[in-house]
Amino acid sequence: MSWLYDWWISLVKALGLPDSYQYAFVARGVVAVLLLAPLLGGLSHLVVARRLAFFSTTLGQAALTGLTIGVALGLPLDNAYASVLGFCLLIGVVMVYVRRTVALPPDTVIGVFMAFTLGLGVCVLVAATKQFNIHQIEAVMFGSVLTITDRDLLLLLIGGAILIVALALTYNTLLADSLSPSIAKARGVNTALVDYGFVVLLTIAITLSLKVIGALLVEAMVVVPAASARNLARDVRGYLGWSVAIAAIAGLAGLLISASWRVPTGGAIVLALTACFAISVPLGRLRR
Amino acid sequence: MSKPVTIDVANVTIRRGGRIAVDGATLQITQGTIHVLVGPNGAGKSTLLSAILGQIAFTGKVDMTFRGSGVIGFVPQTFVADRTLPITCAEFLALSRQKRPACFGITKPAAALIAKLLERVGLAGFEKRRIGELSGGELRRVLIANAIDPAPEVLLCDEPAAGLDPTAAEELDKLLLGLRDEHGTTIVLVSHDREQVKRIADRVTRLEITVKATGKPDEVPL
Repeated sequence: MSWLYDWWISLVKALGLPDSYQYAFVARGVVAVLLLAPLLGGLSHLVVARRLAFFSTTLGQAALTGLTIGVALGLPLDNAYASVLGFCLLIGVVMVYVRRTVALPPDTVIGVFMAFTLGLGVCVLVAATKQFNIHQIEAVMFGSVLTITDRDLLLLLIGGAILIVALALTYNTLLADSLSPSIAKARGVNTALVDYGFVVLLTIAITLSLKVIGALLVEAMVVVPAASARNLARDVRGYLGWSVAIAAIAGLAGLLISASWRVPTGGAIVLALTACFAISVPLGRLRR
Repeated sequence: MSKPVTIDVANVTIRRGGRIAVDGATLQITQGTIHVLVGPNGAGKSTLLSAILGQIAFTGKVDMTFRGSGVIGFVPQTFVADRTLPITCAEFLALSRQKRPACFGITKPAAALIAKLLERVGLAGFEKRRIGELSGGELRRVLIANAIDPAPEVLLCDEPAAGLDPTAAEELDKLLLGLRDEHGTTIVLVSHDREQVKRIADRVTRLEITVKATGKPDEVPL
């Protein structure tokens, strides 16, 4: 990866950016954000169209619980993808099953699971902290570019590419099902498969983005870009374009803020995203 | 020789929220006919339509016998989608008419087909109008455009004329009659519009939780 770092250093110099941006971890963070932007931006507008914003928050919390379970079982803190993915998938799939089965409003069902994952997470966290310092888990809770490794980037590249291809192949079906499941079902779409399949894709994307954004803040990255884009877009094409652009701009801005002022990357990205949303409101009114 | 049966509903009972919404409904819908379900609000018409589509649980039996494409078109009574979603009429119709993701643009063949479809339902030039900006009647016509392509073998419409002005309702009648006569489409319609029933129905079933009567339009109380 030395070519990447050399290129980054020359770019920082050419742009006249502060010397503190020349560190390799900043270069890795930039690449991670540029890989995550199309993935989370693309997912974001489908998450909002399918009304899964609250669902994503629960998955973020489940990620934290999954991590603590993994650590309690002996997995290394910086390499607990398996337990995070496994627990999130379990929670996500069961949540979809219960939501489809019981006659309760979806947000009520999701609220029950959110309470459960949080309660379990707190209990396991207290038990697990006997094995490590609780501050070590902050990077996963709030995101940190310092912890991103070359291996994480490779995983992000391969996983992200697979997810984007899967989303592109199923996009029309996903959106049609979001608009009207009854019409989609009449057209032969297996709406249950669509429901479960999308949650699996979302869970994998959330797991991949944990190190950059953090478990507690990942929900913002899968909701705010689309919320901002909705203020600006006139059609689906614009909706996707704005979602991806806002995810990339806010991601890079948050990363550079994080590197400059040594604040958690996730928090800085969320603040940048919120600023984008604030700007999109008056801009959207002007475009109408 | 009588026409074959396309939809056979046998002793269908549907429970919703602890009450019986449809009780032991039995009816046969023959191929290439327009069969209208009438009855007061809460009589179970839309619920029975959902059962025919296989979208809700029921006891009894619904058999659909296809002899052609097997395509089912459906025009729902309500469109629960988020009306603030920035999607145009053309993009909505493109979702089931092209493989390319609609967010990457509409292909030329799909665009041509969509223009024709919108023209057929009296919405020529509405391609770039957002779904959320449409009136109730216009949205209904977009849903009808979506349901009639490809020409369905079975078309289920839940109050398709609701919200349409008289001219549009007349155009809808012509469209449905055209589908029946030119493509042999079997059409099941829920309708409160007595005039529409008299104009286009081949058979009528009066439903009031149970099937009260089935026959020609002049044989069943509307």
